[in-house]
Amino acid sequence: MANNSKIKLTFNTREVEAPEGVTVLRAAELNDIYIPTLCSHKDLSPFGGCRLCIVEIEGMRGYPLSCSTIADDGMVVLTETEAIREIRTELVQLILSEHPSSCLICKEADECKPFTKTVRKSGVTTGCRYCPNDGQCELQDVVNYLGITELSYPVIYKEHEPERMDPFFDRDYNLCILCGRCIRMCQEVRGTSVLAFNFRGNKTRVGTAFGRNHIEAGCEFCGACINVCPTGALAEKASKWDGIPDGSVIATCPYCAIGCQLELFHKDGWFSKAVPVHDSEVNDGQACLKGRFCMGEVSHHFERARKPMARIDGYWKEQLWDEAIEKAAEKLKDLKPDEFAMLISPDCTNESLFTAQKFVRTVMQSNSIDSTARSSLGGGLPFWERMFQKPIKIQEIKKAKTILAIGLDTRFNFSIIGVEIRKAIKAGARLVTINSRRSNLAQYSHCWLQVEPATEGIMLDALVKSLFNNATDLKKELKLSGVKKEKLADALELLKGQDDLMVIVGPRIFSYTDNADLISSITELSKKDNVSIIPLYYGTNTRGAIDLGAFPEILPGAVFKGDEKTTKKLESAWKVKFPKDDGITIDKIQAGECRPKVLYLVGAVPFAQRPDCDYLIVQDIYEPDFDVDLYLPATSFLESSGTLVNMEGRVQDAPGVEKLPDSVMYGRARPDWWILSQIAKQLDVAGFDYESSDNVLDEISDLADGFPKSGRIHRKMDTLRVETVLPETVPVSAKPRKKSGFLLVMQPGGYSYRGVDITSKVEGLQILNPEEGFHLNSEDAKELGITEGEKLIVTAGDKSGTACARIEDEIPKGAIYLFKPLAFGGLKDRCDLEQLFRLETNPCPVEVKKVGV
Amino acid sequence: MVVKTAASVLEKFSTRRENLIPMLQKVQEVEGFISPESIKLISDKLRISENEIYGVSTFYAQFRFTPPGEHSIYVCMGTACHVKGGQQILNMLEYELGIKEGQTTEDGRFDLNRVACLGCCALAPVIKIDDKIYSQMSVLKLMDVLEKYTQSVEVTDE
Repeated sequence: MANNSKIKLTFNTREVEAPEGVTVLRAAELNDIYIPTLCSHKDLSPFGGCRLCIVEIEGMRGYPLSCSTIADDGMVVLTETEAIREIRTELVQLILSEHPSSCLICKEADECKPFTKTVRKSGVTTGCRYCPNDGQCELQDVVNYLGITELSYPVIYKEHEPERMDPFFDRDYNLCILCGRCIRMCQEVRGTSVLAFNFRGNKTRVGTAFGRNHIEAGCEFCGACINVCPTGALAEKASKWDGIPDGSVIATCPYCAIGCQLELFHKDGWFSKAVPVHDSEVNDGQACLKGRFCMGEVSHHFERARKPMARIDGYWKEQLWDEAIEKAAEKLKDLKPDEFAMLISPDCTNESLFTAQKFVRTVMQSNSIDSTARSSLGGGLPFWERMFQKPIKIQEIKKAKTILAIGLDTRFNFSIIGVEIRKAIKAGARLVTINSRRSNLAQYSHCWLQVEPATEGIMLDALVKSLFNNATDLKKELKLSGVKKEKLADALELLKGQDDLMVIVGPRIFSYTDNADLISSITELSKKDNVSIIPLYYGTNTRGAIDLGAFPEILPGAVFKGDEKTTKKLESAWKVKFPKDDGITIDKIQAGECRPKVLYLVGAVPFAQRPDCDYLIVQDIYEPDFDVDLYLPATSFLESSGTLVNMEGRVQDAPGVEKLPDSVMYGRARPDWWILSQIAKQLDVAGFDYESSDNVLDEISDLADGFPKSGRIHRKMDTLRVETVLPETVPVSAKPRKKSGFLLVMQPGGYSYRGVDITSKVEGLQILNPEEGFHLNSEDAKELGITEGEKLIVTAGDKSGTACARIEDEIPKGAIYLFKPLAFGGLKDRCDLEQLFRLETNPCPVEVKKVGV
Repeated sequence: MVVKTAASVLEKFSTRRENLIPMLQKVQEVEGFISPESIKLISDKLRISENEIYGVSTFYAQFRFTPPGEHSIYVCMGTACHVKGGQQILNMLEYELGIKEGQTTEDGRFDLNRVACLGCCALAPVIKIDDKIYSQMSVLKLMDVLEKYTQSVEVTDE
């Protein structure tokens, strides 16, 4: 609040201070004075539904609601008089008459509590199980505060069927007290409006339109409603019965480059659930389904690898760590620089990325370290370097007046961005979207330019030309993108004459072969002063990977190779002579241009089949689906600590929450930096005496500017310093498109973590399954004579692939969308499509047939 | 006669949020009920989510979400009719037609509604079918009345 002046008021006998403009309830909360309430929440607008927060205020008639009365200077507030207590007791009793309340007023509650956790094979009634009973019930708190032990009203059970069909969370509206917090959260804060009060009077219930399930109703499964539910009506499936957590740590979400701050709760040493922290710098108390719900299952899945394994004489054998390290060292000894290559996932921590590139450059004397991030950085590294030099501020979105979103869908990916966009719209911003298929933002857009598949860049180019260069002849662009002249005029009307422009570019459209228009127009936009650009990309720590030189052409400190000053600095720090070779990149390996003798994959599995090499070392959290010669189990985000750089350039802490002893379950997994430094030590290379990730971070902060020392993570905004810039890569220019037949449009998938596609591990994601299969229009499907789920065969030249059909109404006719995974681990259906993923052009004209016709 | 559709009557409304209720009323006037499709149309036009619109429209008793039947049955639940057993009449109708209050039978013949008072309390309990009031109902009389409607339709069908 802009107004910082304070007011004084008196609660009961205590005089307190509070900022001006807050409600009486908030003033009490800020001063640790308890006023019972069930419907108010600090993030939400006052509702006045539960009426428990009544107080007596001197000079005011009756019992005003503290949640909707603004505190005034000199107010005298009484919060606990006999009359208030009586009314509150009455109100709570009325609420309880419609809420299963055995836990609240049962005479045997105290004796029963120790036994409710009894594990039995058959269903035995030990205590009641109406709700999770996990100590988070605010109704319980209020009942205890008022000391209610019996009910004077008959109890009505509403007999709603508990709703368990949707993934990730259960809803039991019998427990609902209609406080409306979930609805206000969904409508006011998230802006999605999936929930609303339906019907009225005693039939009122929270629900979606026509009782649809949440998937159909457009739910983002962000879990914000669960976080504010004061009862057990909404509960996360996975952690529902975990009971009261033992403690928590604040960590950074490992799933995307936004880097949301999450509070990870643990119970009995194991991770229980993740709840977004109110961190106004990054995520402002919000998260998406990946961060909120997908952590436990990815790390605790039964397929998770637990021990080092090696192929010895054709047998797949368990190894001790010493044996495995020895084996790795033996194979890596005396290799020529071009006989070795390492690929590392951009989801790894800074510490792991740094150790990996140091390992390759000092131990292997080679530059053959590449990150799989390269595949999702369309436009080339220099382009992204330039993008990162401009400040990227997520929290600025909500202040924007005009927003241009290109190829962006924020339902299940980057949903924080969507929340911020909707906040801006609520504050009066105009939104123009360019998208070939319907996105979740289409409904909020003031103008949606629906373009032909893969022509988003052309449309952006047209907009930039007419906005800044006053171009009028846009016939070619309009023809290619299939947009009507009037529609473009509408968009220009909204965009013209605005002081600022926020451009948000979705991650999927960078992958088109023909992205020349997109890259050049973004570059042009980035030169304008009043334009902010937020380019989105997959890969959590891609910015860290660039910063720390996990690419052949970049050195730590985000300096391009060949910079003598940095080379000298690194050579003297590491006491080695620096390698001069060009290094093997992921593209060369995938194209079969290079064949390394030993290939070392650190959390990166960009192959569906075993890549061509003599010896394959994989270091990841899951074993890949193909043959491996040596497998080293790495720790997941829950087990090891480290730091991550988000897209804004903040270095954020990601401490592990599980400290497991060596023997159990995943206790033998080790952090990537530990494994690599052990191998280096085995090969007698100095400079790898790291005891903890903090040691690595300290070394990073010495060598790369902007990185903090351990224990001093300030999360300040930071931009990369690039001293020498690589020559610009020339983007491929536009080619005429084939009009007949189908167009196969490939977009990168967003559900990878290291080497696995997390959809394969998380049950809820399998139900949503946003990425599997060929997505096509319902009319096309009718013409082909196929129904949802039937197999399709797609052929382009001599390459073909089979997968099931997913029918959607809002896909342009004649286009088939396919998600190309960044990591292949765990994928079932899409592994058969590898031929298509290797197609030279994207989009590509193809033939489509039903299987068996 | 030109058949008006929801899409055509919605065209003349502006995109202001305040138009929601008038739009819903117009749709109900033209189509007889609020369909999921028309809610989607309104949602796209006003940029309000379908769920929110459904929440608003279910709040008001004037909107219905199933197509009306050929004959509309209104069961009075006012004080007098309530005392004289209106609830049993409603229960019986629900049982006999196999639908709940607010719904329409599968064959589209009847829809069943409850009203607070029809203004003829002296005749309680009353039901109204289309525009005709049936007074002092009992379960037996109800069966006769229903039969009349089912038969008369069958006759006209032939």
